[in-house]
Amino acid sequence: MIDETTLVRELQNIQTKEKAFRVLIKEYKERLYWHIRKIVISHDDTDDVLQNTFIKIFRGIDHFKHDSKLYSWMYRIATNESITFINKRARERNIDISEIKQELVSNLQSDTWFTGNDIQRILHEAVSKLPKKQQLVFNMKYFDHLKYQEISDILNTSVGALKASYFQAVKKIENYIRKNQN
Amino acid sequence: MKQDGRHRDEWKLTPDIKTGFTVPENYFRDIESNVIMRLKEDKLPKNHGFITPKKYFEKLDNHIIEKTKTKKGKLMTLNRTKIKFISVAASIAFLLFFGSNFISNTNKELTSEEIISWLDTNINSIPNDELAFALTELNTNDINPYLVIKNDDIVESLLNSNDMDFLIEDINTK
Repeated sequence: MIDETTLVRELQNIQTKEKAFRVLIKEYKERLYWHIRKIVISHDDTDDVLQNTFIKIFRGIDHFKHDSKLYSWMYRIATNESITFINKRARERNIDISEIKQELVSNLQSDTWFTGNDIQRILHEAVSKLPKKQQLVFNMKYFDHLKYQEISDILNTSVGALKASYFQAVKKIENYIRKNQN
Repeated sequence: MKQDGRHRDEWKLTPDIKTGFTVPENYFRDIESNVIMRLKEDKLPKNHGFITPKKYFEKLDNHIIEKTKTKKGKLMTLNRTKIKFISVAASIAFLLFFGSNFISNTNKELTSEEIISWLDTNINSIPNDELAFALTELNTNDINPYLVIKNDDIVESLLNSNDMDFLIEDINTK
């Protein structure tokens, strides 16, 4: 396990920044990738958002003040970049965000980088129909196995509210799958 | 035993006398919904079904490192122009309001390097108050149709509010 304080110190030192940044990428790229992927769905889009996320991290690390954990901070950047991507795509197409999310999921049927079955596809449909916060909480808790306190640090929401969000999300998803699987 | 005779609520408020164990606040209140949630979770697929291209993660590090160098180069160029105002919109306003000759005299797509070079040469020649006026008058609908940027990532970078925050900070710290 990398010592976060040391890593940040090296990232904030121009002499060691690139080397430390490589360590950071190696350590966190897969976790951030899968977090972003569950929001933007397509691999190619995820690749773009992930790289932009790391660029933002690289440029912003000098201003990181340890008022949260490094991973929470990075996760937050990844979340914002993903949401920005979705919003931008919706603006370009002049459609609602809900429509663009449905479109992204409906493309899964012909997506080379999706090997899930019908139930998994329906699961992603169900998740895409959730309000934004419930969607994020569900992904982080169910797929990423983050603890409520970690999610709270990332989303700046109380643990109690997150538990309620998660419960609602699971209930809606389970209902949606039950209604649509046949 | 004394414990059997105690009121139910006391179990929640006081530690177990024999073991000294306590439980988190509201634990027994929430346990029913937690168990139901677990039962619902069990019905959901465990795997999301997404995969990645072969060796994607192995190649990713170098792609990202390369991008940090490319983007840093562009911003260093802007800093060397010694832009007076921290607002990036000022640069665009300046170009649109004072650069009309520059834009209309070219019948080709402008590259980001040409625009930066023009800004570098001219931005110090206009008084601050005139530039401030240009900012207030800037209307994105007025963007000159001849202003076609061949490499549009610098304009996108300028106009993207997320990038703008870092750009402004970057300019401020140099």
